[in-house]
Amino acid sequence: MTHNNSNPYKALQSTILHISHAQCQKGGEPLFAPVDLQLKPGEMAVVAGQNGSGKTTLLEAVAGLGTFCQGGIEFNGEHILDDWLQQSHYVGHYLGNKASLTCLENLNFATTMNGVRSDETRISAALDQVGLAGYEYHHASDLSAGQKKRLALSRLLILNKTYWLLDEPFVNLDVAGCDWLYESISEHIQNGGAALLTAHDNKRIHQKANHLIQLVRP
Amino acid sequence: MKFWILLQRDVLVAWRKKSNIYQPLVFQLLIVTMFPLGLGAGAQTLQKIAPAVVWILALISTLITLENIFKDDYEDGSLALYALSGLPLPMAVLAKATAHWLTTGLPVILFAPVIGVLLHLPGDAYGVLMLSLLIATPIFSLLGTVGSALIMNLKNGGMLLSVLIMPLLAPVLIFGAGAVLETTLGNTPAGHLSLLAGCLVLSLTLAPLAAAAAIKVNLE
Repeated sequence: MTHNNSNPYKALQSTILHISHAQCQKGGEPLFAPVDLQLKPGEMAVVAGQNGSGKTTLLEAVAGLGTFCQGGIEFNGEHILDDWLQQSHYVGHYLGNKASLTCLENLNFATTMNGVRSDETRISAALDQVGLAGYEYHHASDLSAGQKKRLALSRLLILNKTYWLLDEPFVNLDVAGCDWLYESISEHIQNGGAALLTAHDNKRIHQKANHLIQLVRP
Repeated sequence: MKFWILLQRDVLVAWRKKSNIYQPLVFQLLIVTMFPLGLGAGAQTLQKIAPAVVWILALISTLITLENIFKDDYEDGSLALYALSGLPLPMAVLAKATAHWLTTGLPVILFAPVIGVLLHLPGDAYGVLMLSLLIATPIFSLLGTVGSALIMNLKNGGMLLSVLIMPLLAPVLIFGAGAVLETTLGNTPAGHLSLLAGCLVLSLTLAPLAAAAAIKVNLE
């Protein structure tokens, strides 16, 4: 797996994601005690907690796919969802690959849908980086679980977003894949990006994190 | 722009899974062959029921395809890609409905004359039959997005979807089949067709909003 920085990040403004006193609920009951976080570019936050503690729910709500029952997120000090969506990308358990489309078509859709001009050489380069070189015309349904994950993660390399929201990104990846992802996140942060992710049982990423959010029952 | 991208993707996905396109047609053909067997082969009896049967078949064969409009996208996560893309959700719904119509409604319209012939539908009714379906099939797709959005996170939502959508489609069936029936009786179908067009305008304006709201509720 080659690893080079083929997409230099745009000049970043001093954007700050502020999660203030946020709580999510399921079945009418709050899942976790209120969470506070201030995430600046160049930082990484890891959400930890037991199974069922609400890690995914929190991340989905931050991504804009769910809602908070209390508190919420502010971006640049304001509640402008559009700006936040412009600068964040979420890769969750449901990866977002269409099984009947090829890798190229899947990434094409993701990029154009995000308002980025689609560029085949760039997509190929991203596939190469995640170790899917030569899979451009393979259907996503033909990939293994790990490869599907890699395909979804390759979106991050193309989309050029400041904030990466990753839900258990290391699951299903092999050792080399985990190393690549770790390096990739580190480099993203060095380049002025930010990441909010959940990862249980990954000491390396926990040590690297600037913020560790432990979700506990309220 | 994003509207077209989503529309294109959906048509491509449907094209890759061609069974989605021809399944409703095969279904119609199978059912329609049962009518002469069950009723006894009298051209006159068939002719009488033809407008209703062609219409009900078009309706039911579309109904079985509605469930997956949003369910597939919800299950594979690609819903998030367009829900978070900045494209207003009602516009995304409209794109999904258009794609569904192109891959389900349009084949049903083109296939309707075949079903009509099998039921001895009188020759002068074919134009009105296809015209009424041209107005009505977009309504099926549009209301379908609402139903599909409501049940997208349920395991076996198909039945619930039918129960939710059928009452809304009843007026469409009444006006549509009515238009064809009036034509076979030698009357003008204009009244029925106008009411049908009214239903289309109503669903075109309200269904995307309702479906978008349903998606938001289900994402919470």
